[in-house]
Amino acid sequence: MTSNANGAGQRRRLISDVAPPADALTRLVAHGDQQFEAFFERVESVELLPKGAPNRVRLRKEQGLAVRKIENGRSRLAAADTISGPAFAACCDRVAGTTRSIGTAPPRIRTGRWPALRLAEIEQAESRLTRAVNRRRVGFPMEITARRHRRQVQVIRSRVAAPPQFEEYFSLQVTTPWGVWGGLLPSLAAEDLDPVALCLVDRLRSRSLPPERPGRGVIVLGPNAAAVLLHEVVAHALEADTLALSGSPDQVVGLKLGGPELDVVDDPRSAPLACKRSSDDEGTAAISRWLLRRGRVRQPLADLAWAERYPSMIPGAGRRASRHRLPGPRTTHLELLPGAIPERELFAEAVGGLYIGEFERGNLDPFDGRCVLRAPCGRRIGATGPSDHTGPVEIRSRAVDLLAAVAAVGDRPLAGGAGWCAKDGALLPVWARCPSVRLEGLEVAD
Amino acid sequence: MKFARLPGTRSLRLALGAVRERTGVPGAELYVKVGNTRRIEIDPWMTPLPVDPDDLDTQVSILDERGWALRAGGANRALFLADSGPLPEPNGWRRLSRHSLRPGTLRLPSPSSGTSPGTAPSAAADLAEHETDDEETAGLALLHGVLRRLGERVPEARLIRGRLDTGASAAVLASTTGVTGRTALRLATVELDFAASRDGRQGHCRLYRAASNLQMLSADSIASEIAERLTLATAPAPPFLPAGEVAVSPALGCYLLALLAPLLQGRDGWRRLREFGAGRPLGPPQLQIVDDGALDAGWMSAAQDDEGVPTRAVGLVRDGEPGEPLLSWEDDGWSGFAAAGCRRRSGWRALPELCHSHLHIGGGSEAPESIRTGIVHGCYLLDRAHDGRCHATFEPSTNGSAGSLAEGRFEVDAIGLVIRRGTVLGEAPRVRLTGTVRQLLQGIRAIGNDLRFLPAPGAVGAPTLLLTGLQVEAIG
Repeated sequence: MTSNANGAGQRRRLISDVAPPADALTRLVAHGDQQFEAFFERVESVELLPKGAPNRVRLRKEQGLAVRKIENGRSRLAAADTISGPAFAACCDRVAGTTRSIGTAPPRIRTGRWPALRLAEIEQAESRLTRAVNRRRVGFPMEITARRHRRQVQVIRSRVAAPPQFEEYFSLQVTTPWGVWGGLLPSLAAEDLDPVALCLVDRLRSRSLPPERPGRGVIVLGPNAAAVLLHEVVAHALEADTLALSGSPDQVVGLKLGGPELDVVDDPRSAPLACKRSSDDEGTAAISRWLLRRGRVRQPLADLAWAERYPSMIPGAGRRASRHRLPGPRTTHLELLPGAIPERELFAEAVGGLYIGEFERGNLDPFDGRCVLRAPCGRRIGATGPSDHTGPVEIRSRAVDLLAAVAAVGDRPLAGGAGWCAKDGALLPVWARCPSVRLEGLEVAD
Repeated sequence: MKFARLPGTRSLRLALGAVRERTGVPGAELYVKVGNTRRIEIDPWMTPLPVDPDDLDTQVSILDERGWALRAGGANRALFLADSGPLPEPNGWRRLSRHSLRPGTLRLPSPSSGTSPGTAPSAAADLAEHETDDEETAGLALLHGVLRRLGERVPEARLIRGRLDTGASAAVLASTTGVTGRTALRLATVELDFAASRDGRQGHCRLYRAASNLQMLSADSIASEIAERLTLATAPAPPFLPAGEVAVSPALGCYLLALLAPLLQGRDGWRRLREFGAGRPLGPPQLQIVDDGALDAGWMSAAQDDEGVPTRAVGLVRDGEPGEPLLSWEDDGWSGFAAAGCRRRSGWRALPELCHSHLHIGGGSEAPESIRTGIVHGCYLLDRAHDGRCHATFEPSTNGSAGSLAEGRFEVDAIGLVIRRGTVLGEAPRVRLTGTVRQLLQGIRAIGNDLRFLPAPGAVGAPTLLLTGLQVEAIG
């Protein structure tokens, strides 16, 4: 219980001693069908708005806890916006439905210190991004809002306490005269800001071009765009609650969704450095989960509740947007394993086709499996790779057709395509690592 | 069960004094909010109806929320800080110093800008502890009632997800300018998601309704609304669509009005609204569009907004002509218009922003039935189509993105009925209603007297409307 997923050690522990609440939880159990879980959370967000905005620096901190009882598929959760022994005892009473459910004296719960507030790195984001744009010999007005997000989580289930988890990442919103770019970054270092500058310059160069005409052809997706595609048509499609809308979630195991070049893994342990997770938001150990193995479904995403309903499912993908929300099965870090085709060859067989570097939006209809992906711009593929810019592109297709269209997977995976997943209104950061992919026979929508 | 209590304004003043002492700022404001919510979620994932209440997997959450926000600063430096839990004691602000401030500005309303210190309800009235266990039983009974009645009407319906929230919140604020304020709200919302299949045609329906207390939500009327929508959503497409008159229900009217919200806020909205009129009336003489933060029996009714500025009824469109803009205290006196309390916070973590509270279309006198039966050749549109389009644009598109609309146009996907001389000819499971904002407002031919509010977000209200001059086409 002393280790941490990202090696931060003691200084990032949320509560200093997990034994008192763990003991208290065991006193709540009336019979073997009951499970009790305590979730402690601490969140910090620092926001730096563009110059001239009122209250330019906005600091939000919060901490709280939730106690949950799970019994025969039903759950009861009580949450409070403070971490203390009396708040914990009150939550235990609410889920147990009795007073003094854990005894007369509330357990002593002490919290660790908040990590130091480092504002300098956020304040430097604007100048670094401006320099990265200027290096491409362009300049344009930008209003940059930079945010740093930190989250500490500690889950205790009966006597077992999972390792404390700590996540730190950044989000940027860049407003230009021709639109808004937004995304997540593992850091605000130059190497992470450089791809953002590339996206902004691409948008500048395609700003007044008309939407791409409908038609069938070859499309090459860059790592960012491939990540969004896989997030919608593999990760969302294989979440147990989404699968349950159209049948029994465990029946999809073995189903062929794509060609043998598609090996897709969800592995929270290999997320970017400060976002790695060794356990999920229910305290279950995170695993490297084969979602697709050679194009066939291997293991859908499940949390404890779905694993209890379908014993063939493995928990470990339970995520919660906050202590006030129930957990649900979600992806954390999606990886498309590299193929054998060098990037150059990927483009060589796609001359005349379309290159899409990023999708700004994706959506999957869980009922009919239709997916819509929108790119703000694209590039025509010439003899030497992506060349002339094009206007916005929209792809509408069934998820299975999108996966069936993957004809080749590049050999150079890159971290990218990170963003907010907003399923059911619960905002969660998601990460990915993908190579470029070539799609054949897909139609660009009207 | 004890829920969090609000501090008194004296505690807030002491804390403000400590903040000023530590940071040296000329102005500061503290906002404290507490709330409790009981949430019941049922997610049986396509369970057929009627369902035995004992077979439903219910997830109950009891959420106790409390937090505070501090705004401090002056002309050059400012700070916004929000935290959960109770307000720190006066000696709990030790970490604040002059170095906590960053370049920025802060302006706060003063009593002279229309606020009225000391007129707020007492602290005892803030957050009366409601009988939460009784509410849970009543909430479960409501959900079971909806499922049972719907099962009787549409046996092929499948429940995808259901969520019922009941709760209360209270807030108190005080600033160094002398403004104080208190608000207290109570709200119950229900969100239900259903699917049905008829003759191989799939249909979905999502219903989101709100009331100031649980007892005002009726299982029978909710089940009727869902049954109506599922029946329409699974109907075959009509062979033709008449392009004459379009009557829209209060539910769809609310969505149409919500689309116009950017025109009805602030200075920019006012300028655009006047441009849309182009020297002619915006709508028929009976058209009134009002936003009223103090509306009697409104869900969000409060004497003051979240900055302590008194609320009032603002006639945005009066007798079909632009009335007055919705302006915050910062714009008081702009073009001779008076401000109103209209800045709201979405929670204790958020800064106040200009927004409507009870935006609605008034002035209707016709019975909705006479509007519907009076349609010679047209449609009666009941609600938005599930997952369909519903948007409007007021700015020119700079990148010509796919699917975007020309400036000043709107499009809404809806479900409804085809009507000829008052007789229903058939169902329209998915149609697209499009037009310009000017056509929408100027095409209003009749306004019903059945005003109804929906959460959209905030409270948006509309009666049955009869519209002409818009385009209706079948889709899907």
